[in-house]
Amino acid sequence: MNRIGRLQLAAFQPVILALALVVIMAIAGIITPGFLTFRHFKMVLYCNTMLGILALAQTVVILSGGIDLSIGSTYWITIMTGALLMVDKGFVTGSIVCILLGAAIGALNGIGISKLKIPYVVMTLAMMIILTGTLYVTTGGGGRGRAATELIRLSSGRVFGFPIITLVWILLTLLFYILLRMTAFGWKVRALGSNISACHCSGINISRIQTGVYMISGTLAAVAGLFYLGWARTPYPTFQSGAGVGANIMLQSIAAVIIGGTMFSGGRGGVGRTFLGVLVLAVLFSILSMAGLGVEWQIMLNGVIILAIVGLHSRVKLH
Amino acid sequence: MADDRLRKFVLDWYIYIVLVVFWIVSSSISPFFRTMSTFSTIFVSAVPIALVGLGQTFVVLSRGFDLSVGVVASLATAIASVTMHWGIGPSIGLILVVSCAIGMINGLGVSKLGIDSFIMTLGMMFLLTGVTLLIRPSPGGFIPVNFKRFLLYQVGEFPLVPVLILFLTGCVGVLVLQKRRFGREIYAVGGDPESAKMSGVDVDRTRIKVFMVSALSAACAGLFVSARIGSGNAEAGAPYLFDSFTAVFMGGTLVTGGIGGYRGTIASALIIASIGHILQFLGITIWYHFIVKGLLLAGVAGLQLFVVSRERNR
Repeated sequence: MNRIGRLQLAAFQPVILALALVVIMAIAGIITPGFLTFRHFKMVLYCNTMLGILALAQTVVILSGGIDLSIGSTYWITIMTGALLMVDKGFVTGSIVCILLGAAIGALNGIGISKLKIPYVVMTLAMMIILTGTLYVTTGGGGRGRAATELIRLSSGRVFGFPIITLVWILLTLLFYILLRMTAFGWKVRALGSNISACHCSGINISRIQTGVYMISGTLAAVAGLFYLGWARTPYPTFQSGAGVGANIMLQSIAAVIIGGTMFSGGRGGVGRTFLGVLVLAVLFSILSMAGLGVEWQIMLNGVIILAIVGLHSRVKLH
Repeated sequence: MADDRLRKFVLDWYIYIVLVVFWIVSSSISPFFRTMSTFSTIFVSAVPIALVGLGQTFVVLSRGFDLSVGVVASLATAIASVTMHWGIGPSIGLILVVSCAIGMINGLGVSKLGIDSFIMTLGMMFLLTGVTLLIRPSPGGFIPVNFKRFLLYQVGEFPLVPVLILFLTGCVGVLVLQKRRFGREIYAVGGDPESAKMSGVDVDRTRIKVFMVSALSAACAGLFVSARIGSGNAEAGAPYLFDSFTAVFMGGTLVTGGIGGYRGTIASALIIASIGHILQFLGITIWYHFIVKGLLLAGVAGLQLFVVSRERNR
């Protein structure tokens, strides 16, 4: 296949993915009764809301030609900050501080990458270790603090029988769909991912866009963190995959973006595809856990999915 | 003239000057630091960093990243702890073959399929994390006493074998990069892959070999770690991922590839090992080490690019 072929494959990936999703769900539904009910589907969506928001953030970063490896640890540090603050400062202060903290971490990443020219891999990897260390220094590694009652009500609340936080996720996806398609900022983000030197020549303020992108990522990670806090009530951070806190969910967010069909090299893709990617990942995980396979299989599945999809795209590029 | 020569000397060896100054300052501050047992521990803990740093130096020089080095080291400890009861030889053989295969897959993906080295090795990292957790869900297993004794062999308080390993690794790294055809090809590929190709370098082959060296040296680091902790542990190799990057960048190898070498990496490995030690002496808990290491990694990478851009503008 030539270059056109590759573009067509990327364009059709959502369609193929939707078909695959239907087939997987049909098979799972035949094997396990109760899988194909609306109630179960709602539950799967609800449980993966946090992942969905993180994957949304990751999509924006990957579209701009970067990646945020610190997204999982930002998520966890806002969770723990919220839990510690909400004990005596209340819901409003706690939430505002969390979101500001997320934005500040994103801004630091963005400044390091755009102004100091540190490669994004190194910068966000370093941020991930720094945040992991900070988290354990402040909490001692155990579960501490507690979510405010309002937050618990928000995370478990429903409108017309549909979870509020899942609705927020869907609304955010729509918002970013519009933002990326119809605003100058969105076009600049895509342009940055497609060709950074062309952007430079056409006078786009690259460092401002990059900082903005990482700030969006940090802020959305904080929002997801708050939702998780309300869901878990007293959070307990775990040191995962030997790579720092939040490594698993960081990887899942990247896997969801790539499985959705956003090109890793940046520029091409979108948040709608990532939504579909999260659905596929969520259904696969729920099948894995129904089969009694533990978290190590999930980690492995993530790796296999990333390698398979990235390999597929590049194999097509060859011919 | 003499001024220029001094300047060049300082630029070439600055990391060793930093190391010596660091040791002198720490020794004068802390009486515990200036004992042989401290230096012995520093050398022993520098060995895995230097080994992982060897492969990472090759990869970074060829304009890539290898995020799977930490987990390859973990995998080596896991396989060692499960298979050492067959005998030390077969177990080491198996580990080397497995790591070679992993490196080859990484290299094939990066060169033949044209996948970004970062995403290729990230996928590999998590794939192998799953495998390692399946092999060794909890720390433990069997490592023969002979194997441990040999790798950690000391004369008095002087860690003879670890220092020899450091020395040999250093010789191999520097000589291969400076004197061998393979080494020069790495610089050519990292400097500019297009012109390397035009001048007859087999770019794909060099890339594959580079990733194989990286996986092999990470596996050797894993073997040393398993001897040190006397068991297998799925998390044991993880810290060496960050350490390898810090060692490579602090040693003067450019993030953008093509410039640098192994000489700096090995001194940085000693510095990183010493920093861990001095933090312990100051009574700072292990979690602060993460913060220090993260700041060091970002700081070193930022400073390096700053210095390079200033040199270019001169």
